[in-house]
Amino acid sequence: MAMAETFFSNLKCRECGALYPKKATHVCEFDFGPLEADYDYAKIRAAISREKIRSRPLTMWRYRELLPIDGEPTVGLQVGFTPLVKAERLARALGVRELYLKNDAVNYPTLSFKDRVVAVALTRARELGFNIVACASTGNLANSVAANAAAAGLESYVLIPYDLERGKVLNSLVYGTKVIGIEGPYDQVNRLCSEIAGKYGWGFVNVNLRPYYAEGSKTLGFEIIEQLDWRIPAHTVIPMASGSLLTKIAKAYQEAVKVGLVNASPFRIYGAQARGCNPITAAQQAGTDLIRPVPKPDTIAKSLAIGTPADGYYAVNVMRQTGGAAADATDAEIIEAIKLLAETEGIFAETAGGVTLACAKKLIDSGRIPRDERVVICITGNGLKTAEALDGQLTEPARIKPSLREFDALIVKHEPQRRGEKNSLMEYRQRGNGILETPCLRASAVNKSYGNRSKHTDPVAGANQQPGHGQRRGGDGRGAD
Amino acid sequence: MAKCKGRYWLNFTGPTATEPLIYQLSKKFDVVFNIRQATISDTMGLMGVEFEADREVLQAAIAWLETQGVKVKPVELNTIEG
Ligand SMILES: Cc1ncc(COP(=O)(O)O)c(C=O)c1O
Ligand SMILES: [Zn+2]
Repeated sequence: MAMAETFFSNLKCRECGALYPKKATHVCEFDFGPLEADYDYAKIRAAISREKIRSRPLTMWRYRELLPIDGEPTVGLQVGFTPLVKAERLARALGVRELYLKNDAVNYPTLSFKDRVVAVALTRARELGFNIVACASTGNLANSVAANAAAAGLESYVLIPYDLERGKVLNSLVYGTKVIGIEGPYDQVNRLCSEIAGKYGWGFVNVNLRPYYAEGSKTLGFEIIEQLDWRIPAHTVIPMASGSLLTKIAKAYQEAVKVGLVNASPFRIYGAQARGCNPITAAQQAGTDLIRPVPKPDTIAKSLAIGTPADGYYAVNVMRQTGGAAADATDAEIIEAIKLLAETEGIFAETAGGVTLACAKKLIDSGRIPRDERVVICITGNGLKTAEALDGQLTEPARIKPSLREFDALIVKHEPQRRGEKNSLMEYRQRGNGILETPCLRASAVNKSYGNRSKHTDPVAGANQQPGHGQRRGGDGRGAD
Repeated sequence: MAKCKGRYWLNFTGPTATEPLIYQLSKKFDVVFNIRQATISDTMGLMGVEFEADREVLQAAIAWLETQGVKVKPVELNTIEG
């Protein structure tokens, strides 16, 4: 890519429109409004085209003209262009006609959408001359800063609430970053970071580099459009912590129209939060854009647990202006949704993904999202990082002796479940009740109709405690099923 | 004594949302204030404000606001996550 040219002109106050130079600064001097990157759109329109984008490598940088850097990207060159999965089985379960999953659970390198924002923030940090970079994080951002800084040879510090999931902590530590656990909720981590940013002069990706960082999220929106063969989806469901990602996907849709990549078409933006930390959803549902802080977030979706979301006001307005809505999900609903997604589409999302799917389901069931239009659900993080959320929630693996007889016995016991599968997916659709119908529930419901076999259908207990059962049907195990 | 300046978001919620707290603050403490932005509903208010005062006075004024149920957040702290 020979593209040293920049289209990024200024930082601009989102409240009053005042222009600022492209430095490491993030609030307006007059009204404290957040600063945002501003571009020369006419110039971009002349420079960019679908063909040009198509000719470039499959990474987020193929939309380089719409990102706030001056030179070539230097950090996170492989980030982005994650799969947009057509989710037919999940669509059936939810009772919608056309459903897609934007799967940033497999984003490179740290398995969340945060690699997008960090690629931009650290590229810009280098342009501005920072040698030390840092962040306040609920986990995923820390992972991404740690990994991308390591690869770029930058020193890094990440500050996180001390009680994050083990996987999230480990995924920062391994890169040799300095991890500092703060005894308090995220908002206090955040407060401390700003004091540090002021005092130490580091490049804090989500404090003084925030206008650059935030723009990286737009690439998720551009990719969705391109992967839908240059169409804007009618409905997009997005998880919200600070609310930044949601506002930036909307901005991406608008910019794609503005620079002539796609025809304008109506779109609605929907936000998802956990019930235990729902300041933006609560405001949206109350019909206000004043965000009431949640002082003590309490949810398994720790990555979304921000009690005072900086972009909450803007997120509520995007939902209102586009005709969208917000929903929230309880911990139990989050877990059911994680399982539903895994079982229908083979995608293991983190708790934030459970939040998004559970909320999408609610919005569909309540009629806010129509069943016959194109829906995209954004899956933004990987389930391996929040594995403990599923502790005690899954069936333990069956355990048998290395014996064909025991194996056959086990298979006999699995059979009713297998037959049940098709029916329960149909049930999902008929009852619009996908999330509550877990496989465990399914198995037991099916067992009933299988009468006398029902005793044998617990694969685990059965395998260990009653190894002889299979014989009754399968003899020595040569049965066909 | 050195004057110091601070920029804050004040979040008024609950029973004190409609009290004239900024007026009371200016009577109690020697603080110069400059309101930059404000949004108010019948149950809640959000104000961007700059305070200038001696360091101790500023700290005392903020502590007092917090005892009145106002959430005080330095502007620089208003980061996104996360
Ligand atoms: C997995 C995941 N999804 C979504 C979000 C929401 O991001 P935002 O703060 O931009 O709303 C986060 C934030 O940490 C996250 O970790
Ligand atoms: Zn301004």
